[in-house]
Amino acid sequence: MAGIGFELRKLLARNTLGGVLQAYAYAGMIGSGPWVLSIIGILLVGVLGSGIVVPPSLITQFQTTVTYLIATSLILTGGLQLAFTRYVSDRLFEKRDELVLPNLHGLLGLVLCGAAGLATLIMATLFEGVSFAYRLLVVMSFTELAGVWLLAVLLSGLKRYKAIVLLFAVAYSLVVGLAYAFAPFGLEGLLAAFALGQLVLLAGMWWTVAQAYPSPRSVSYHCLHRRTFYFSLLFAGTLYNLAVWADKFLFWAWPDTSEPVIGPLRGSMIYDLPVFLAYLSIVPGMAVFLVRIETDFAEYYDKFFTAVREGASLEYIQDMRDEMVYAVRQGLGEIAKIQFIAVLATFVAGPSLLAWLGISSLYLPLLQIQVVGASLQVMLLAILNVLFYLDRRRVVVALTAIFFLANTLFTAVTLKLGAPFYGYGFAIALLLSVALGLILLDRKLDRLEYETFMFQ
Amino acid sequence: MKADITLLLEGTYPFVSGGVSSWVHQIIRAFPEWRFHLVFLGSRREDYGPMRYELPANVVGLETHYLFEPEPPPPLEVPEPPPPVMGQVEALHESFLAGVPPAQAMLRMAAMFPTLLEGQRLTRDHFLRSRAAWEFVCNRYRRFCTDPSFVDYFWTVRIMHAPLWKLAAIARTLPASPVFHTISTGYAGFLGALVKARHGRPLILSEHGIYTKERKIDLLQAEWIKDNRNVFQRDPTEVSYYRSLWIRFFEWLGRACYDAANPIIALYEANRQRQIQDGADPARTRLIPNGVNLARFRPLRDQRPARVPPVLCLIGRVVPIKDVKTFIRAMRRVVNVLPEAEGWIAGPEDEDPGYAEECRNLAASLGLTDKVRFLGFQKVDELMPKIGLTVLSSISEALPLVILEGYAAGVPTVATDVGSCRQLVEGLTPEDRALGPSGAIVGIADPTALADAALALLTDEARWHATSRAAIARVETYYADHMMFDAYRQVYRQAMEQH
Repeated sequence: MAGIGFELRKLLARNTLGGVLQAYAYAGMIGSGPWVLSIIGILLVGVLGSGIVVPPSLITQFQTTVTYLIATSLILTGGLQLAFTRYVSDRLFEKRDELVLPNLHGLLGLVLCGAAGLATLIMATLFEGVSFAYRLLVVMSFTELAGVWLLAVLLSGLKRYKAIVLLFAVAYSLVVGLAYAFAPFGLEGLLAAFALGQLVLLAGMWWTVAQAYPSPRSVSYHCLHRRTFYFSLLFAGTLYNLAVWADKFLFWAWPDTSEPVIGPLRGSMIYDLPVFLAYLSIVPGMAVFLVRIETDFAEYYDKFFTAVREGASLEYIQDMRDEMVYAVRQGLGEIAKIQFIAVLATFVAGPSLLAWLGISSLYLPLLQIQVVGASLQVMLLAILNVLFYLDRRRVVVALTAIFFLANTLFTAVTLKLGAPFYGYGFAIALLLSVALGLILLDRKLDRLEYETFMFQ
Repeated sequence: MKADITLLLEGTYPFVSGGVSSWVHQIIRAFPEWRFHLVFLGSRREDYGPMRYELPANVVGLETHYLFEPEPPPPLEVPEPPPPVMGQVEALHESFLAGVPPAQAMLRMAAMFPTLLEGQRLTRDHFLRSRAAWEFVCNRYRRFCTDPSFVDYFWTVRIMHAPLWKLAAIARTLPASPVFHTISTGYAGFLGALVKARHGRPLILSEHGIYTKERKIDLLQAEWIKDNRNVFQRDPTEVSYYRSLWIRFFEWLGRACYDAANPIIALYEANRQRQIQDGADPARTRLIPNGVNLARFRPLRDQRPARVPPVLCLIGRVVPIKDVKTFIRAMRRVVNVLPEAEGWIAGPEDEDPGYAEECRNLAASLGLTDKVRFLGFQKVDELMPKIGLTVLSSISEALPLVILEGYAAGVPTVATDVGSCRQLVEGLTPEDRALGPSGAIVGIADPTALADAALALLTDEARWHATSRAAIARVETYYADHMMFDAYRQVYRQAMEQH
C-alpha cells in the first residue's frame, strides 16, 4: 500500500495531536474500511430484515450464504490478487501504464468465467432442492465478488484508497437499502440486493481504473507470461486466505459446533459471531500498522535502495538499514500496544457488549481469545507486508503455509478437546506464525545489505 | 596429439589481425618441427569475427575462452570458505599495500595458486556469494576506498576478480606441454603463472608492447569507470580511485607473470627497461628483436634508379596513431625547398574513414593535391625501389617492421622518437652505433624537424648513400629473421630441456 505514506506523512508532519489523530483515523478507514463496511452491511441487513423476513431463519441463511461466498471467492482469487498487484506495480515502475487496463480486462475475463463456471458446477451438483433463483443469484454474486477482490487489490495498488472506501460505502448502503425493499421476497430478495450491490461495486471500481489508466488496447494476457507472473505470489495469496478461513471452515464442518443452514452449507452459531466481532477490534491495530509501516519503514526502505543504486557510502547504506529495522520494531511494538488495549477493552466491555447484542455470555471467553488471535493476525500482516517490501517471496510462502497448516491442525485439536479450548487453535497458530515470522524477518534484515549486494 | 609448445594469446592471434598476430603466425611457421597448442583468451565471444589466419599444419589444438562472457550465476546459498583460506587472502592483500616489498606479495601469491587451482576451498561461488567475501570487501572499502560510492567499489572488485577463477579453471584443464609461452602479461600472463604452478614447466614471456602500460592508457581514457567524488573531494591531479584500483590490479597481474616467466623477452631496449621497472628480474630479461626476410628484399636494392627518387613514403594504416597529418604538413615544407619531391601514403584507409578524409582535406588545403598521393594498400616489394625514404610520424610504435623492410631494401628512414625507433636508427650497442646512423630521428608532432631531416638526406647524395649502407649493414647484422628464429629456437630448446 505504498503511496498512502505520503498523505499520512503530511498529516503527521503537522505534529499536532489533531494531525496525528487524523492520520490514524485516515489510516484506520483505509486499512479497515472495506471489510468493516461489509461486516456491518451484512449485520444491518439482518437487523433491518428481522421483522419483515419470515421465517427469521432465512436471514441466517442469507448471512451464511454471503459468508461462504466471501470466504470462497477470497480463497479463489487471493493468489491472483497478489500476483496481479505485483504485475501492475512492476509495469507502473517501468512507466508502462497503458498495460494496466488491457491486462485487467484479460485477467478479469478469465476470473469471471472461471468463477461463474465453478459456481454453476457447484450449484448444479451440490444444491439440489434449493430454489433456482437462489442458485442463480449465488452464481452471480460469486462471480461478481471474484471480480471485486481483484479490482479492490488493484485499486489499492494504484493508491486509490479513498475511491475504494467510497465505493464500498455506496455499494453496501445500496445492499442494505435494497435488502430492506426486497425483504418481502425472502432469501432470494436479500440475495438479489447483495448481488446488485456487488454489481455496482464492480462497475464503479472498473470505471475508476479505466478513467485513471486509459489504454488503446482493450485486452491483453501479458500479465500471465511466465516472466511477469510470480507463482510464489499465487501460492502466498492462496495459502494466506486458506489459512485465515481454515478454522472457520472446520467449525462449520464439525458436527458439535455447527448446524445445517441451507443445502450443504453449515453455520456455527457459537463461533461465527465472536469471530466477526473480534475482527472489528483490530481497526486500531490496522491503523497503526499502516501509519508505521507505510511512513517510517517505507521511507527508509526507499532511502536504502536509492542509496544502494545511486552510490552512497557503505556507512550510509547501513544506517538506512538500521533505520528500517528500527521502524519495523517500532511498528510491531505499537501494534502490540494498541491491540493490547483492544484486548483489555474486550475484557472490560465484552460482557455488556454481548448483552447489548443479545448474545449469551457463554461466548465471552471465545470472544476474548478471538480478539487476541485477530490482533496477532495484524502483526502477521505487518510482517508479511515488510517481507513483501523486501521481496522475500519464498519466505512469505513458507510463512503462510505454516499458518495454514498450524491453523488447521490446532483448530482440529481444539475441536477434539472441547468447548473451553475453542478459539485457541486460531490464536496459537497465529502466535506460532508471528514468532516464526519475527525470526525470519530478523534474519532477513540482518543479512539485508549482504543479500542485496551478493545475491545479484 | 600432444603439443610441444602451448601459446597463451590474449585478444590476438588467430582472431585479430595486426603486428603481434603476424609475428605469432611467423613464429609458428618457422618451427614446423614443433607442434603448437593455442589458447585464445578474449573478452566476449561477440567481440571477435572469424579466424583471420589459416592455422599452419603444426597447430594441433586451439581452445578459445572468453573472460567477460556472462556466466550462470551460482546458487544463492553456498558454504563459507574455510577461515585459513580467507586468512591467506587477507595476508596477500595486505602485502599489496605500499611499503611492503613486492617479493613478499609474490611469495604469498604463489602460495595461493594451489588453493585457486584445486578449485574447492576458494571458488568463484565463494567469491560471489559467501558472507566471508562480503565482509572482506566491506572491510577493504572502509579502510581504503576514497570514492564515496560503495556500489561502484563493489562491482569494480567483482568484475576485476571474476576472470581469475575462469583462468584457474582453464589452467586446471589445460593439457601439459614441455613449454608454455605467453605473448603478453595481463590475464594471459597470469594464466601462464598458474599453469607453471600446476605443471612445473617453464613459462616464456614475449612482450611486444608493454601490456600494463597499454592497459593504463586504456583505463585512463575509459569512460565506463566511474568517479563519484564531488567537486570538493576531487583532486584533479589524482586519478579516480577505481582507475587506480584497475591499474594496480594489472600491475600485480604483470608482476605475477614476470615472477613466473623465464626468459622475459622484449623487442627492444626501452621496453626491457620498462619491464625491469615494472618488477621483472633484470637477469631474466633479454632482447629478441623482430626480423625481416633479407632474401626477399636484397634484390630490390639494385632496382632503384641511379638518382635517388625524391619520394618520402609513409607505409601504414591511415589512423590517428600514425599522425599522418604531421607528415602532410612536413611535405609542404619539403616541396617548398625541393619542388620535385613527393609524399606517398601507402596503407588502407578503411579503419578510420573520417580521419582519412581529414588527411585528404588537409593535403588539398595546403595545395599538395598532386604532391601527396594516397595509394591505398601497396605491395612493399614494388614500393621500395621507387622511394627515397621511409617516414614514420607515429606517436606510438613498438618495433616497426616497415623500417626494417626499408633497410633491407637499402632505404633509410626518418622516424619519430617512439618505441624502438631511436635504437633502429642510431644503434644500440657500441658496435651497432659504430655502423653510423641509418636515418634520422625527430620529435613527435614536429613537421618542421621532420621536413628538415628528410631534406638533409634527399639533397645530399653522398650522405644518403652512407646512410643507406648503414641501414643495410644494421639490418643484416641485427634484424634478420633467421636471427630471431635462431634466438627463439634456442629459447624453446633450453626450456624443453629444463627438468
